[in-house]
Amino acid sequence: MSAFIDARAVPSGQAVETDLAIVGGGPVGISLALLLAGAHFRVMLLESGALEFDEKTQDLYKGTLAGDAYLPLEASRLRYLGGSSNHWGGWSRPLDEADFEKREWLPHSGWPFSRKTLMPYFARAQALCETGSYLYDGVKRQLTEPEIALGEGGIDTRWFQFSKTKNDVLPTHFGERYANDLKRIGNLRVYVNANVTRLRLARDGNRLKTIKVATLNGKRFTVKSKFVVLATGGIEVPRLMLASNDVKRCGVGNENDLVGRFFADHPCPRDVGTLVIFDGRMPGYYLGTVPVRGTVMRASFTPREDYRLKHPVMGSQTTVEYRDELDAIGKAAVAATASALGVASSHAAVFALGCGLEPAPDPDRRLTLDHARDALGMPRLKLSMRINDADFAHYRKSLAELGRQLLAARVGMLRLNLKERGQWLEGLDWGNHHMGSTRMHVDPKQGVVDATGKVHSVDNLYIAGSSVFPTYGASNPTINLIALTVRLAEHLKGLFK
Amino acid sequence: MKLALSRRTLLIGGGVAVVAGVAAVEGPRLFRKRYAPSPYDDLLDKLDDRDACAQIGERALAGKAHFDADKVADTLRDRLHHRRLNRVMVEDAEQKRVAENAGWVMPETLSLLCALAAKAG
Ligand SMILES: Cc1cc2nc3c(=O)[nH]c(=O)nc-3n(C[C@H](O)[C@H](O)[C@H](O)COP(=O)(O)OP(=O)(O)OC[C@H]3O[C@@H](n4cnc5c(N)ncnc54)[C@H](O)[C@@H]3O)c2cc1C
Repeated sequence: MSAFIDARAVPSGQAVETDLAIVGGGPVGISLALLLAGAHFRVMLLESGALEFDEKTQDLYKGTLAGDAYLPLEASRLRYLGGSSNHWGGWSRPLDEADFEKREWLPHSGWPFSRKTLMPYFARAQALCETGSYLYDGVKRQLTEPEIALGEGGIDTRWFQFSKTKNDVLPTHFGERYANDLKRIGNLRVYVNANVTRLRLARDGNRLKTIKVATLNGKRFTVKSKFVVLATGGIEVPRLMLASNDVKRCGVGNENDLVGRFFADHPCPRDVGTLVIFDGRMPGYYLGTVPVRGTVMRASFTPREDYRLKHPVMGSQTTVEYRDELDAIGKAAVAATASALGVASSHAAVFALGCGLEPAPDPDRRLTLDHARDALGMPRLKLSMRINDADFAHYRKSLAELGRQLLAARVGMLRLNLKERGQWLEGLDWGNHHMGSTRMHVDPKQGVVDATGKVHSVDNLYIAGSSVFPTYGASNPTINLIALTVRLAEHLKGLFK
Repeated sequence: MKLALSRRTLLIGGGVAVVAGVAAVEGPRLFRKRYAPSPYDDLLDKLDDRDACAQIGERALAGKAHFDADKVADTLRDRLHHRRLNRVMVEDAEQKRVAENAGWVMPETLSLLCALAAKAG
């Protein structure tokens, strides 16, 4: 076992060499390092933090916000080994086929490849995230308690799996979980307290020459690597690229002014609907997690893919949150509707609904450099957040469809609780899923990275993580970005053959 | 003899079942509240819980600048002619004829009946 190297002890001015440098030790960086174990080239992992939370390091994440309300940039992620997996929820679900498709009605939509391309990598991603075997909607065949019956239509019950470590602790904190595994890898060196502050391009601008590392105790050294993978998360990747503007004024990979644009997260409005089930029978797996064949699972209501493409609506996940009560008008609505449908409602049960919804890609939802600088002299970021009314309208349409299907099945009914913009924004929460800011596209004019994850304009620079998602889907990103990482690992191994 | 007896028992049992069935569906009507007569009583009679419907209907009417009750009643008469209300409700939902009242997604026919109930007072 080789211990992690504390960058604060590396003499200033030193130049360290490696074959492949991974910047960032979150789920992506750690997974990539694990996947490259035993390769015949040298790998270096550079992580800003160490094994525990540290206030001064976390402060490096601070930035400013403009536009619609969003979370403070330092609050929606964590800057130490394991990254934001140190406080993630473990919700996992592969993106749908429709998420990858170009939709004529949705500008900027579509991935450069289909879901099929990514499928072979999920088994490994499941193992890394400790989400159990690949079940998801396949669990339907094994249920003893049937799903809530819905009439024919656009919404269906879909399934999440959860990350779970060995002793049933939810969910996997990648740093803690894999630290010892990383130490055992012969071709890997892990530097902690190592902040990459600049990507230095060669003079022709087509290759990265070195990367600069700084520590909070004042040490500065450089890393020279044949290839570099940025894995610093969907906010910090564009920051590094934009701040590295000494050779090219626009920054690295930003010739087409795309770095930092199309930033996205999943808005999670609260109490979006009130669901009534006439006979009161709500299977437990809608309200919380249940174990199925050693896997932790939960059901949600999701627009079917054919419905999404035809109607059209964006992706969403509607979850049953907690038991609720009806007001007078709600009681009247339920009494009137149930009796007209010819069903009893004396045992009706009421539930509050929550959701996560997919926003449409928006180039003006954007991260830019701010004037303020952090303790290492790096410019801080400004996020211009925007949520468009259309995003809420799409979701409302899906929720109304669920209501219609409940009536058609004579099973229950639903109230849409939010209508005006102000109502949606009140108490709005977020998924903390930072996506889209270095989008993937085969055309350099429309994307920062190509279909492999390589920055179009830089021969030896790759990006891994959800910042490359060109359209986002409504699934939580991590299992998907890890599947992408598994794919990237294969590609990187090929580069050294 | 044994057979006759069991047939008799069966018949009685069947009869009880039928009566019980009727009581379950029709029961509430026997104790139904009386309302002032309105031109829509043939329709409103189909509602088991007219008070609840009227409450919803008030909300529905509040959002409508113009509501031609007679025209709506004619449409509903056509729709409900010789048909069971619950069948029409399901058909509404299946055919995407739904309306929103105070946020509640409801079959359109019911929503209109509710509005008539509110009009009728
Ligand atoms: C509260 C919360 C709940 C979440 N719940 C879920 C969920 O249920 N399901 C789901 O799928 N996802 C969830 N997520 C998102 C999930 O955590 C991320 O998708 C995942 O952590 C992304 O991994 P990453 O490695 O790309 O980035 P990160 O986790 O952000 O890791 C980046 C790493 O890079 C390091 N770093 C940053 N800058 C530098 C630098 N300049 N130099 C060197 N190192 C640097 C950081 O210290 C960090 O370790 C949640 C996130 C949050 C915040």
